Amino acid sequence: MRTLKHTVSAAALAAAIATVPLAADAQSVLRLDEVAVGELDPAKATDFADTMLMFNAYDTLLLPAQGTGGLVPHLASDYSVDGNDFTFTLRDDVTFESGNPLTADDVVYSYDRLIALGQGFSHLFRDHVASVEAVDDNTVRFTLNAPYAPFLAALTRLQIVDSQTAMANELEGDYGERGDYAQAYLSANSAGTGAYTVTDHNPQELTLLARNDDYFIDIPEGAPDEVRLVYGLEGATVRTLMSRGEHDISSQWLAPEIIRALADRDDMHLFTESGTGGFYIKMNTQRAPLDDVHCRRALAHALDYDSVIALIQITDEVAQGVPANGPLPAGMLGANPDLPVPTRDMAAAQAELAQCAYDPGDQTIEISWIAEVPLEERFALLMQANFQELGFDTEVVRVPWALFTERVTQVDTTPHIGQVYVRATTPDPDALIYNMYHSDVAGTWQSTEWLNDPEVDALLEAGRSTIDQDERAQIYRDLGARLVELQPTIYAFDTQSVYVARGAVEAETLMGDGSNSYSLDGANFMFRHMDVQ
Amino acid sequence: MSSTFFKTIGIRLWTSALVLVGVSILIFCIARVIPGDPARIALGPNATQEQVELLRERLHLNESLPVQYFEFVRELFQGDLGMSLYTNRPVTTDIGDFLPATLELVVFAGILMVVVGIPLGVLAARYRDKLTDNVVRLLSLLGVVTPTFVWAVFLMLIFAFYLEILPVAGRLSQGVDPPPGVTGFYTIDALLAGQWSTFGDAFSHIILPATALALTGIGQTARLTRASVAETYDKPYVEMAQAYGFSDRRIASKYALRPAMIPSLTIMGLDFAAMLGGAFLVEAVFAWPGLARYGVETILHKDLNGIVGTVLVISAFFLIVNMLVDIAVAWLNPRIRLQKRWAG
Repeated sequence: MRTLKHTVSAAALAAAIATVPLAADAQSVLRLDEVAVGELDPAKATDFADTMLMFNAYDTLLLPAQGTGGLVPHLASDYSVDGNDFTFTLRDDVTFESGNPLTADDVVYSYDRLIALGQGFSHLFRDHVASVEAVDDNTVRFTLNAPYAPFLAALTRLQIVDSQTAMANELEGDYGERGDYAQAYLSANSAGTGAYTVTDHNPQELTLLARNDDYFIDIPEGAPDEVRLVYGLEGATVRTLMSRGEHDISSQWLAPEIIRALADRDDMHLFTESGTGGFYIKMNTQRAPLDDVHCRRALAHALDYDSVIALIQITDEVAQGVPANGPLPAGMLGANPDLPVPTRDMAAAQAELAQCAYDPGDQTIEISWIAEVPLEERFALLMQANFQELGFDTEVVRVPWALFTERVTQVDTTPHIGQVYVRATTPDPDALIYNMYHSDVAGTWQSTEWLNDPEVDALLEAGRSTIDQDERAQIYRDLGARLVELQPTIYAFDTQSVYVARGAVEAETLMGDGSNSYSLDGANFMFRHMDVQ
Repeated sequence: MSSTFFKTIGIRLWTSALVLVGVSILIFCIARVIPGDPARIALGPNATQEQVELLRERLHLNESLPVQYFEFVRELFQGDLGMSLYTNRPVTTDIGDFLPATLELVVFAGILMVVVGIPLGVLAARYRDKLTDNVVRLLSLLGVVTPTFVWAVFLMLIFAFYLEILPVAGRLSQGVDPPPGVTGFYTIDALLAGQWSTFGDAFSHIILPATALALTGIGQTARLTRASVAETYDKPYVEMAQAYGFSDRRIASKYALRPAMIPSLTIMGLDFAAMLGGAFLVEAVFAWPGLARYGVETILHKDLNGIVGTVLVISAFFLIVNMLVDIAVAWLNPRIRLQKRWAG
């Protein structure tokens, strides 16, 4: 018993020590969380946490323009286009965190490294860029194989690495004279020009970033001095931390009820990020009965869209999505405002069903949901109830993501209905829908429709090769109309990411009417735009 | 200790090595049967098929299983467990980072299991069928039947959310630097460095997760100890000790507990070792950056090298704990300890 008594006493003592406030820290700190892991290497980064790190520790030649759409020069002071040649003049006031000045060689090294490693966003460039050369210290030229309109937007994913620092830290490896291409170093350290530098990084636990006061753009006083990006916090943990004032911004992956509970507090408010993607209910257009367009349209009319939105409603004003009217989210280049927002219309559904070649009772429709996304089960059950009203037999199937990605590689094993969230990887419509609908890329998680329509293919290719942005916008509007007519997909809602933030934290890119937002997920988490004072 | 004893330990070491080889083959094959292409999962949903193929080539995933296993063993003998597809770091680095955190948690939970569970069991046995016994049995049952993650959330709710007397997440508070690394246990390292405030901070952080992890073991230990000690209390030598008028404490610790510990110890050892793999939910709730969480994430991400590395470490831990338990049982059991003397 004495041992027990001592243990309890020691625990109480330790608790007492721990509750003594630490010395006041003059530094302002921003604390937020994301799903593990945080990938720090710019040639490998793809996920949301990675994107947050990239847009803070590194910079790109161009950035999405805030609010207006389009692109603006960033590390480049100017650029020109001559046929397939894109020439960029670099700013002369930019230095890396090492103190090295930014040069055209850094751009060439960063590009070569991305392509050599073959990971991350290398697919945005690999088949389209013929060469990249440093014309002089401050000028770099990209030469494309053929006209490729999404190229400029793709440059928002080419983070520029300090080549001298990287080369000084190359270890032995598989890349000839480049050794390991500094993979070991850049997975643990930043070597960019960003507004923040990484001071400590553990990909499963925590990344610490410190403000870079030598940044080439003035950072407002209110921006945090230090940022603690924590990975893999559970919902209950985030709720407790935020309630205690020990956490500033939640991730977007919190359950709606937790977001709602936190949002009800007076000392919290919500951040939102939208316009980059949607929630798509994808129908396999090659399997009966969904190979008949009338059956597909019947299902689209039968879905209760109001209930779908109700499932993602957070507060009376904010939901994790807004009604969609087509493949492109509102605000994106080529989004077609003339398309009607679909609503549940059972009469129209019955009329389409009457034209369908199949008897609904003859086929069982497999409605899959991704095991890792429990909310999708609710959507699946809603669809089951809605579609059964038309007489369809349905089967709701839980599919782990890994299995889903395997099943969709064959048309016969692709479920009749799959549900996926898709977000554009660059601020360009091509990045969102080419990989969904072009017949050449069918059979991936994004293209479970297996759509094979020459008109759609032609429009997608025209969208890539047409440089004039107004013409492109019209092409994508036509494409949207064609896709709604073919109905390979039910456009359930445009996604809106919702975050809970402490009232004291403000972020111009995540608040208000979107007039200061970047049209790229994650880019809105540039900490220099935040105010934690 | 007898030479037979050391010979037994030698045999156990040898069989443990064989078990590890068997485990490595088994997990190597099982990891490759889990649905999903590890290269595809590692590269993310937007990677092209060409990128996936390149990575598969680099990871030897297109080779036959025996060839892949041979490559794995060859690299293992060079101290290389390969790169983790989950963290993009060497698996040995990941294990080096995450193992000490989990070991510290498990050791604290193990200590709690012993220092709380055994006295509770002895107390219940001493006052068998009385109020104390009934209370202990009820609490023990509660400990055993309640899942660990429920304890974790419950403890967090009480002590961190409502009372706000203990920290919620991580191993140290924001702004507290880790102590100089010696053992990787922040509490021990802080003590070694004489950093008392860091020790207090690390200790306060480990209280909730260690307690949550230990509660099932405490219940199990109390129930086992009670049953064994109660049985021992019926033995003639205990009755004789009582007849001699020895104190309750002396009878409990010297005559009842020691022999009763022999069967309990084996189960406690297994419970202790199982905590290493079972700490996942506790680590997730308390954002404890440990190996159990890493292990589960590697499975979800089909990180082949990470899975094999983690399972090998956990298996080795199991084997070591089992061996230590065998030694402890041998020490406690005079029929084993004095075997040579008897033989002589």
